Amino acid sequence: MKKIALVTIVMTALGTAAFAGTIHGKVSGVSGESVVYVEAIAGKTFPAPTQHITIDQKGLMFVPHITAVAQGTTVEFLNSDSVAHNVFWPSISGNKKLGHNLGTWPQGQRKSFTFSDPGVVSLLCNVHPEMSAYVIVSPTPYFAETDKSGEFKIDNVPDGAYTVTAWHEGAKNKSNPVKVAGNTTADFTLSK
Amino acid sequence: MNSKWRSLPFATVLAVVSMLVVLSLPPSASAIPAFSRRYGTSCTTCHSDFPKLNDFGKAFKDAGFKFPKDDESFLKAPPVLLGAPAQAELWPHTVYPGSIPGLLPVGLRYNTYYQQVSANRNNFNLALPAGTVGNFIPKSDFQPGYFSIFTAGNFGTGISWWVDDDISVAGANANGALGDAYLKFNDLSRFLKLPKDSLNLRAGQFELDLPFSQARTWNLSGWDIFSEANVGIQNGLGPQQFVNNGSALEDAANGIEFSGGHIYQGYHYSVAVFDQNTTGLTISPPNVAPQNAVAFNSDANFKDLYGRFVYRFNLEKDPVSRDDVQAAGAMGPRDHTFLALGAFYLYGRTAQPLSGVLADGITPTVLTAREPFYRIGGDVNFNYRTFNVFGVYLAAHDHNLLPVTAPGAAGVTGFTPGAAATFSGGFAEADYLALPWAMTIMRWDQVKSSADRINFIQYDPTAPPGSSFFSPYSATRNRFTPGEQFLIHANIKTSIEYQIMPKQIVYNPATGLPLTGPFRTNALIVGLEFAY
Repeated sequence: MKKIALVTIVMTALGTAAFAGTIHGKVSGVSGESVVYVEAIAGKTFPAPTQHITIDQKGLMFVPHITAVAQGTTVEFLNSDSVAHNVFWPSISGNKKLGHNLGTWPQGQRKSFTFSDPGVVSLLCNVHPEMSAYVIVSPTPYFAETDKSGEFKIDNVPDGAYTVTAWHEGAKNKSNPVKVAGNTTADFTLSK
Repeated sequence: MNSKWRSLPFATVLAVVSMLVVLSLPPSASAIPAFSRRYGTSCTTCHSDFPKLNDFGKAFKDAGFKFPKDDESFLKAPPVLLGAPAQAELWPHTVYPGSIPGLLPVGLRYNTYYQQVSANRNNFNLALPAGTVGNFIPKSDFQPGYFSIFTAGNFGTGISWWVDDDISVAGANANGALGDAYLKFNDLSRFLKLPKDSLNLRAGQFELDLPFSQARTWNLSGWDIFSEANVGIQNGLGPQQFVNNGSALEDAANGIEFSGGHIYQGYHYSVAVFDQNTTGLTISPPNVAPQNAVAFNSDANFKDLYGRFVYRFNLEKDPVSRDDVQAAGAMGPRDHTFLALGAFYLYGRTAQPLSGVLADGITPTVLTAREPFYRIGGDVNFNYRTFNVFGVYLAAHDHNLLPVTAPGAAGVTGFTPGAAATFSGGFAEADYLALPWAMTIMRWDQVKSSADRINFIQYDPTAPPGSSFFSPYSATRNRFTPGEQFLIHANIKTSIEYQIMPKQIVYNPATGLPLTGPFRTNALIVGLEFAY
């Protein structure tokens, strides 16, 4: 019985390795960091990540400016400034019903929020209107942030046909169908 | 009202224009875009409706134009050191190290206006002799406003400065030109082991620590009581007065001021000693040192005194939030709910020299009437979320020394006390920030001055005064001013004011009979301004 189980695990692992691909490419037409992610896959759900992500408020800025997370991720908002801050977002991808205000908290303290809905979250502070940041909540665990030249790589994507979306601050999203079979290239050209 | 009014018989047009200009143009200084550049933050960090300060802006000002805590961590451009901090250990054998801002902290502001005056605006032409070509006051008018330059900041060691100047106009402080220009030594208390921020010193030219700044008001027109002078003349029928105190609370003061506490919480006080100048005149020859540079600013030896004390009660239930710079609202930081109660007092002494004779009744001499005066008042300020209501009451009192001529003398030989020249009044205002970019304002200004009425209306067969635009129907002048202000951007604002003016009347200067019934010359003022 133990042998059968061991063989099954090994075969599953080998099978997974054999059919897991990589999407890599470049986002062009814009400068700076972008986020690329695989859109929701019909019939598939993914467990929420257990690791929390931290976004800081420091020197009247959100740090980092762009954060990509998987759906269900809990983000902790830290205030490192000696002034009071606030975090709110008026909508998620334009859906105002998903807007939320976390209120006020003093220096050194955190407030957390679990992003259960995928989309683009525009973070704001109501007393420092120049402060801005984005949380890109990917509906799948297959996402990546590009480097400053626009290059990206998403690992461990099972072979198959997907819709892949590229997002960039201030640009129009672009979604392309991508067939993943091993090492797959997908380039995006965005425009404002 | 200024003493200059006395010398304007029948100068109706000038009176109209002057008054409208005074009432319609805003004060000189404003928000400081230089701070936006320095800290990379919006105007609204410090202002709710610029230049009105929010609680954080008040704390920023209290701290000497820097963040109350950890200022360095917010600077987007590091300061330029004028000496390494370690140089301080060598003092007094080296110049004490300081710093200057890494970005030149200069801001600019411009505003322009449109005004429309009601149909009664030309009524005062009725006072002109028949056949005289009167001056036509147009129904509407576009006016250029102020172009101001201002700079402020701190030199890194608790020394801060402010200088603002209206380049396009002449005057001083709320009337334009050089406004506030001072150096402030913040928190001197640290050297005396006193509570933090309990002692500051500033020196230079500054607006007195008024309960509400006239020089930096957010309204299109200033508060009447702060621009009220006390001028009583001898005109035959009224109570005899020999008072010519042209100074107003809004005037720029030159001197020094000790202050302490905070304006966003708890106590705040100030005591100022400044030049006496009630005539508005200065001695033009340059002073001895520095040569050819500094003229005299005083018109008397006496120095005026001004003091103010206010206590602000923050009313948040949560003690942590109550003591913080801003209240911790459920939807983000906001201004506190607070009640502030204050009082102020000014003491001065006018000097009116005139030609007279000695007791022998023959020998010419110069006699000087030295007339002490005071202004005393109280203020209240209540804020609930975005609704702010506040007001000031003030009473003014000038001693009145009447010139007397001894029997047989060739001129004035002395003075005798007369009835004091007084005025009183104040204002109440409610501001409602309906939206972060839209503020609704309702104001009521009142000034009660029998001298003003006498000066302009009361019939004197020997020296008939001119019925001017400023002829009040009664001693009490009420002005109601609803307004609305919109922030187009955080640094661009349009403001609308409708001034329901005090009742006026025009008398025939030759007969003393009224030529009109009571009427108002209401005015609509629209302003557009930007700062960058």
